[in-house]
Amino acid sequence: MKLGDRFTQDFEITKVVYHGFIEIFRDRNELHTDGAFARAKGFQSEVMHGNILNGFLSYFVGECLPIRNVIIHSQEIKFAKPVYMGDRLKLQAEISGIFDSVGALEFKFQFQNESGTNVAKGRLQVGVLS
Amino acid sequence: MNSEQVMQDVNKIFIDVLDNEAIVLSRETTAADVEDWDSLNHIQLVVGIEKHFKVKFTSQEIRSWKNVGEMCDALANSLRAISA
Repeated sequence: MKLGDRFTQDFEITKVVYHGFIEIFRDRNELHTDGAFARAKGFQSEVMHGNILNGFLSYFVGECLPIRNVIIHSQEIKFAKPVYMGDRLKLQAEISGIFDSVGALEFKFQFQNESGTNVAKGRLQVGVLS
Repeated sequence: MNSEQVMQDVNKIFIDVLDNEAIVLSRETTAADVEDWDSLNHIQLVVGIEKHFKVKFTSQEIRSWKNVGEMCDALANSLRAISA
């Protein structure tokens, strides 16, 4: 892998993902579970948990990169727009830094929804295990 | 940029990465002297230093450093080489 290499991966916020997240992490805040509450706060419906996207990033690093011996060192994400049930998201990631001295790669990434809006972006650092 | 100026910037990077305002590095400082300077944070420190100073080290260089002073000397040499 080299500087500037780009990767894309498609994801979908399905009921299985949403209910699985709630079942595991128990965040049943009204914003995520009560449509009327979410609409009263200016959203179109229940807002999906932003940290579902962190799960997608975990899958990307663990399963989609061309190498398997990887570990996430750090991850930063900014949520720019809400994500809703059924949204199809495209993760676009680019290698923005290579640190051979310590076996680390840095990625810049963004998630785009189907209308091309960036809903989240950030950076993650991945270690390559020797 | 001399080793002392490099040390000041490196100290700031240590404070930021290790989230510890109390860190005051000296040339003799080693990982054993700084709380939380473990192997994982060592990676973050090196990445932070490489990004801040826009330099690249080799793994052999890093392993050769016995203390912060040697690291800053190597860093200052790299910066001089870049600007020459």
